[in-house]
Amino acid sequence: MAKFLLYRILQAIFVVVAVTLIVSFAIRLTGDPAVMLAQGAGSITEADLDRIREALGLNQSFLAQYIDFLRGLMVGDFGRSFMGGTPVSDLIGRALPATLALAFASLFVSIVVSIPLGIKAAVSRGKWPDQMIRIFSLIGLSFPNFWLAIMLVLLLSITFNLLPPSGMEGFSSFIMPAATMGIILTATNVRLVRTTMLDTLRSQYIMVARAKGLSNTVVLYKHALRNCSIPLITYFGLQFGGLLGGIVVVERVFNWPGLGTLAFEAVSARDYPVLQGVITVLSLMIISINLLVDIAYGLVDPRVRKE
Amino acid sequence: MKKNKRVLNGAIAGMALSVALSASAQAGSLTIASPQDPGSWDPIDTFLVNWASVATNIFDGLTYRGPDLELVPGLATEWEELDDGTRIRFTLREGVTFHNGEPFNADAVKFTFDRLLGDEGAQGPQRSNYTAIESVEVIDDYTVDFHLSEPDPVLLTKLAGYGAMIVPPAYLSEHGDDYFNTHPVGTGPFKVVAYNPREDVQLEAFGEHWGGAPKLDEVTYRFISEPSTAVAELQAGRVDIVIPPTIPVGMIDTINNHDGVSIVSVASPTVEAMRFNTQSGITADERVRKAMIMAVDRQAIIDAILAGEGEMIASFQGSQSFGSDPDMEPLPYDPQQARQLLDEAGVEQGATVQIDVRGNDATFGEVAQVVASYLQGVGITASIQPYETNVLLNDIIPAGRTGEMFQQKWGGWTFDFDNTAYLMYHTGERWNPYDSDAELDEMLEAQRSITDQGEREALLQAIARYTQERALEMPLYSINALYGVSDRVENFEPAPDNRMRLTDVDVAE
Repeated sequence: MAKFLLYRILQAIFVVVAVTLIVSFAIRLTGDPAVMLAQGAGSITEADLDRIREALGLNQSFLAQYIDFLRGLMVGDFGRSFMGGTPVSDLIGRALPATLALAFASLFVSIVVSIPLGIKAAVSRGKWPDQMIRIFSLIGLSFPNFWLAIMLVLLLSITFNLLPPSGMEGFSSFIMPAATMGIILTATNVRLVRTTMLDTLRSQYIMVARAKGLSNTVVLYKHALRNCSIPLITYFGLQFGGLLGGIVVVERVFNWPGLGTLAFEAVSARDYPVLQGVITVLSLMIISINLLVDIAYGLVDPRVRKE
Repeated sequence: MKKNKRVLNGAIAGMALSVALSASAQAGSLTIASPQDPGSWDPIDTFLVNWASVATNIFDGLTYRGPDLELVPGLATEWEELDDGTRIRFTLREGVTFHNGEPFNADAVKFTFDRLLGDEGAQGPQRSNYTAIESVEVIDDYTVDFHLSEPDPVLLTKLAGYGAMIVPPAYLSEHGDDYFNTHPVGTGPFKVVAYNPREDVQLEAFGEHWGGAPKLDEVTYRFISEPSTAVAELQAGRVDIVIPPTIPVGMIDTINNHDGVSIVSVASPTVEAMRFNTQSGITADERVRKAMIMAVDRQAIIDAILAGEGEMIASFQGSQSFGSDPDMEPLPYDPQQARQLLDEAGVEQGATVQIDVRGNDATFGEVAQVVASYLQGVGITASIQPYETNVLLNDIIPAGRTGEMFQQKWGGWTFDFDNTAYLMYHTGERWNPYDSDAELDEMLEAQRSITDQGEREALLQAIARYTQERALEMPLYSINALYGVSDRVENFEPAPDNRMRLTDVDVAE
């Protein structure tokens, strides 16, 4: 276990360095933050721009700037935003809980919906409930999430005035963004649950369980579902990582105060420290999730624990 | 902590549908959607128009300029230009206090400008506008002298906004710059009570303001960058005003067709043009440039694409700009004469040009396509090259790597043609990668030291005519600033420069 963890930590360090190096380098190719800050400043001269660059530390070489960033990282200091000098850690500290909450809520919606539907589809394979579920899943897969988000806003916020169109102000704010993400995830997950369940239902121990006279519910939810859970947990876990990346569009439509919005605005403003900070946190999280998924295997499957 | 708990509830509570809309429509309370959080409220830190739209309520300058664009007394009650315009004496308003109770006086003025022109100001973009100020001398508690290195005819206007906002010396010395960025204190009609970075900033009326107490009790600015989201909030009645630059022309009908909200527009300082590469390609020939301008029906573009929310321009400035000449006409739309000029210049049918545009500007993308089809009408094939905005502004234009034409969007809050003309036409300027004209340089330099405003205006108008004669750009239009406004808002007057002071604004019960 210790060896395993050490390996994972080394891997994490490598990934973070590689990802931040690429991102830091790439964003610096696309524009000058000093010019962004001075936009509209009328009579700005090259000397003025140089002063601003110096204040932002942009007069140093890329390597020096990057090493500075890594040094800060060691002590948990991401630097300060170019836009107004707020510490990046403060901004991330505000945005991260919002993004995590939305990601969890979306995953929750998708799990709660996709597991019963997937099982239903598997049990009634080929019959009309299965067909219906598969058609709906196909429709769900074909929705672009921003379109779905906008339709929900039009219907629920503007036409019926039931839910707030944007912001994060409590439970009612979660419904539309979590449903948007959740519906799209559900579309994929239903299919996964169905196939996995079909495989499991063919196993002999299920026949044995049925032969013992156990009720259908116990067979499905206790025996079959538990055996399905390894591929499902892996998939949901990895999906959570993907969710964090894919949440940007939905966050933007709903003006969600999360990492996606933060990163989007940082890119537009060429706010290097904020972008680097967000990317670092996201990659660390995805790495940790993969690790948690591995650990979760052990919890549900005694066979993995013994190995 | 409270937020985390809310988050947890939200994630776990699942199916129970609660319809707890926070009531924004409270008496005395106004909510405004602004597209960008400037990140710091310190006047010397930013040059963002969305800083100014909020900060004009928090701070005062020595002078004040409202929606009518007239310069009137602010924290200074009167001023006098002395020593051929190299010294300005200001008499300060008495009995004014900052939001923290600190008194406003000559020391505060000196402190503000020492800070702006010193080390602290050197790190921000604001200082460059005020470099004419050599020093500020305190004469007595309510009199200050500004010593200038050279006369600056636009200085009094520049004192009405941005970096010249007066800040409290004792508060800043006690709390430091970082604290001030997020907890600003000024003398303005509203004071900041809460600032949540990237989310909102909440203001409360400052009853002791010298200009009278505001009618509103509180104002919240929410930062919403996505236009359709801001408009949805307006339609849902949770936002009362959406300020520019948010609403795209394409959404005008959506808003006007919705009950209880409408578009209010006003001419803004922003102008758009397609500038020419005057150095190489077919556009190096003045006749070709004139022909291309005459080939395009600019009024039709304004009517069809901008929904009429714009005005044709004869030079690279709007009609409110100081230096705009009401008698000066744009070159006419005349495709026949255009073709004739092209023949004279030896440009054959099917000659090609490239137009560089900002890729994220959907409205201008349509404008460029229409321009291309008009050019096609006189036998010029135009290709449109979109760039990411920053790449176009930082790399392509200053380096002189554009096509024959490139989009330039410009506008200064000072409404003074100097701010445009000098930067666009003077030899060696960042925005002038191609042209060098000694006669034009001389005029541009001369107008900067003239303090007689009538004389200066005449010279700026002469410059505008000169650029039209040489056809240095295809002037397209000035665009209107579009505000989305709820019917419950009263006494709303749209500010052309987006600096909307809310003292007189009220909301219906």
